[in-house]
Amino acid sequence: MAPAHRDPRIPAPASGKPWRNAALVGACLVLAALPVLLGASNYLLGLLISALILSGIALAWALLGNLGGMVSFGHAAFFGVGAYASALISARLGVPVLLAIPLAGLCAALSALAMLPTLRLSGPYFALAILAYAQIFRILATEATGLTGGGAGLQRFPGLPTILGLDLGSRTGSYGLLVAMVALSALAYEAIRRSHVGTALRAIAHSEDATRVVGVNSVLLKAWMLLLSAFMTGVFGALNAHIIGFLEPAYAFSGLWSVMPIIAAIFGGYRTVLGPIGGAIVIYLFDQLVAKDLIAVGHQILLGLVLVVMVLIAPNGLLGLLKRRAGGRPHADA
Amino acid sequence: MLTLEAVTVRFGGLVALREVSFGLQAGEILGLVGPNGAGKTTLFNVISGLTRARGTIRFEGRDITALPLHARARAGIGRTFQIPQPMKHLSVRENLTVAQVFGAGRHDPARIEEILDVMELRAQGDRDAEGGLALQELKRLEIAKALATEPRLLLLDEVLAGLESQAKRQFMGKLKELHARFRLTIVIVEHDIETISGLCSRAVVLNFGQVIADATPAEVFRNPLVVESYTGTADA
Repeated sequence: MAPAHRDPRIPAPASGKPWRNAALVGACLVLAALPVLLGASNYLLGLLISALILSGIALAWALLGNLGGMVSFGHAAFFGVGAYASALISARLGVPVLLAIPLAGLCAALSALAMLPTLRLSGPYFALAILAYAQIFRILATEATGLTGGGAGLQRFPGLPTILGLDLGSRTGSYGLLVAMVALSALAYEAIRRSHVGTALRAIAHSEDATRVVGVNSVLLKAWMLLLSAFMTGVFGALNAHIIGFLEPAYAFSGLWSVMPIIAAIFGGYRTVLGPIGGAIVIYLFDQLVAKDLIAVGHQILLGLVLVVMVLIAPNGLLGLLKRRAGGRPHADA
Repeated sequence: MLTLEAVTVRFGGLVALREVSFGLQAGEILGLVGPNGAGKTTLFNVISGLTRARGTIRFEGRDITALPLHARARAGIGRTFQIPQPMKHLSVRENLTVAQVFGAGRHDPARIEEILDVMELRAQGDRDAEGGLALQELKRLEIAKALATEPRLLLLDEVLAGLESQAKRQFMGKLKELHARFRLTIVIVEHDIETISGLCSRAVVLNFGQVIADATPAEVFRNPLVVESYTGTADA
């Protein structure tokens, strides 16, 4: 039988250089394992855990910003809803924590349904609407004392369990779990970005009418990105809740959960997958190890300065800067 | 194939289209003619779903008046814009892929290559659709995108504008080829009498948002009302 020949004029589907991606993933995992292998202190592991939580939210924010073309100032709502939902589902309903966490992600996505009408808004109007929306959840969490404990907070809910002898509640266990969750989120993001849906979303961000006129339901695709971003943020909110073991509205719905991911994603390069992750780790460690020492109260002001400098010297973020130095393309796609 | 019944569009106090009614048979090439501001592009926006209107629009027997823009593309209505609107930051080939996957509901790379060949865009396939193409290439991309959605009705908005007469004649040949090859029904907005006469079996003339003539091109261009709408005098 004659071998089947592909029409040479037809370009092969984008392979995305799988060997390169595999090497990149391998390098990232080795890098992630280093703190544990080198016997990092509990303090350092604690910082890295918080940085990875921030990485997850920054990635979710970038998914909405880069693929959905929407700038959100309201991710604190999804983070807080995920945190409270997981704590309540596991404590009140007795659902195992590892099942409560994805359910909490679904709760965060459900809470985002209320935001769907705002998808018809664009630019600053969407940003303002979602900012107001986040405040509503903070007020609800404070006022619903019977459910959330109100301003006094919520303490009695289970921590992360032990699975196959690995205590996920320990610093090492939590760190490993978060590395896996961030990696999973990054893979999901990358799969969407490389799909036809990802291509259409890129087009919607810059030319919405031109995209709709060829049959793309832009509102539906943006809605999916909002729900997915809310789900991811809710999952990381839930993980954080079970790691720290305490929740109060002022913490769970703090504006910092909206602002820090933005700073981290833009600093790292929000149009890439690795940028928000790397940006969150660098920004958080800089904040905790350097900025806090320099200015004890209001140290976040230094993050603003760092971001301004980064935007001025490298608009494509840290990853874009590294690629430029390495002689790569300015449009990072890693 | 397409029926417009008393279609009216108002922008504030301005009536852009007033009670426009006409029908279109499958396989026809219809010229839509009229002076600037007559409502031709508004009518395309109404048929393709970009602008809401009063009245009724039926396509292949189905009332599509309430269908949104993307659903009309999926129903089989493709269009081009007078000022080309490529999907920015995407290559030419990606533009066609998005149009095919979402407009036609399938992914057939061989068909995309066929369209690139027909529209003489294969060499530009990997170029950025926004910054990498000349104006005429952008106009061909407009048609290619619409073809990728596998339309049965194609709305062409001044795709021949800016071409010299020799190039215009060649492009008219290309449009006839597309009409036969893809079994299209075409509505084309065009000012040039020679183009309308050479391409269309019928012409509808709009003036101040109203249909003032609907006949063969030869009859239309002899109609005193049409002459007056263009020149301001019936004696010209």
